[in-house]
Amino acid sequence: MTDIERASPPSRKRILVVDDSSLVRLYYRDTLEKAGFEVEQAINGIEAMEKVLVQPFDLAIIDVNMPRMDGISFLRTLRSSPGDVATLPALVITTEAGEQDVAAARAAGANFYLVKPLSQQDLLRHAAALSGAPP
Amino acid sequence: MAGSETHGARAVRVTPEEVRRLCEFLYRRTGMLFNDNKRYYIDRRLIERIAATRSASFQAYFAILRSDVDHEIEHLINAFTVNETYFNREEHQLRCMTSVLLGNVIRRKPPGGAIRIWSVPCSTGEEPYSIAIWLMENWSHVDSYNIEIVGSDIDTRALKAAANGVYGERALMRLSRDVIHRYFRPVADGEYQIDPGLRDSIQFTRANLIDAQDMARYRDFDIVFCRNVLIYFDDASRRIAAENLYDCLGPGGYICLGHSETMSRISPLFRVCRFPDAIVYQRPEADHDGH
Repeated sequence: MTDIERASPPSRKRILVVDDSSLVRLYYRDTLEKAGFEVEQAINGIEAMEKVLVQPFDLAIIDVNMPRMDGISFLRTLRSSPGDVATLPALVITTEAGEQDVAAARAAGANFYLVKPLSQQDLLRHAAALSGAPP
Repeated sequence: MAGSETHGARAVRVTPEEVRRLCEFLYRRTGMLFNDNKRYYIDRRLIERIAATRSASFQAYFAILRSDVDHEIEHLINAFTVNETYFNREEHQLRCMTSVLLGNVIRRKPPGGAIRIWSVPCSTGEEPYSIAIWLMENWSHVDSYNIEIVGSDIDTRALKAAANGVYGERALMRLSRDVIHRYFRPVADGEYQIDPGLRDSIQFTRANLIDAQDMARYRDFDIVFCRNVLIYFDDASRRIAAENLYDCLGPGGYICLGHSETMSRISPLFRVCRFPDAIVYQRPEADHDGH
């Protein structure tokens, strides 16, 4: 058992991972599930939007670059939706560290913004903080 | 019915000349070379195919084969390929991939760029799935690039099994219980099926290493695993396969062969790279040509 697993909170917070790469989704899912989170996946903003409208989530982890509907467009759509879903905490993750990307994510309503690669520790720390999981 | 087919098959005799004709046909189609010292192996598979096609003689079967009735060429190739492998075979090459090769590959990539990895032949999928699992377990940049893993084989039956992703204990013997628990789910009779998310991360395709037209569909790979197949080829086929593989690599791309294989005796195109974990071969980068 790793340190991460030992330190993991007994949380069942639900997280939606939105990324077009199946390997990345699997990597995040594996890391989050080991720590006790429940994970749902979406391959782009359109699929993510369909899921947040019918299922409750405590956090969305969103990649920026995706085909069909990218992460920033998804976030804008989410924030302008009626009801509680508009306030779903959002952690935006991208490969670009440019100021413009940070500004775009903030303007779209991201609660936090991280640049890949994410260590498992970073991912879990921010997922716990933003989803309201017990420390 | 199966009994009568077997009985019927036993009634068909094949002569050395007929076996030679079949081996020549296989060689022209696949580059695989079968000699008299594999006579039992050849006879058994040939007689199986004669029975399966309900042919009354070798001549009748050969006519079906040459006309490719009901995709008989594919069935014959499937019958002659070897698909015995397991997860994390030649682990030192996987270690080499994450300790050295990928570090060199990403120097040429923009953030979030595509990294293309090819397992050919991929047999029943153990190798491409091993690569994906190894990356998730051992490479800290796994989420930073768009990693594309392609598994290809000439044997369509093996490809179907790969996409199904069900394995017995023996194939999983090199994986820890923890890894099996996280990436597989148990199914009937002590078998385990690969996680659907992991299965979706691999693209499975058919490829023939000595068919230049076929191989032209595969380009810009950064790392190719081509293990334990060139040993089935003769020198001429080996060279053709090596040249085709060279064209499939992007500049600076690497190829990993089986432990008993060496590219140096096959083709001068590649640069030999001796890393602590493995010897691999590199397609030189364009601006290094002539140095």
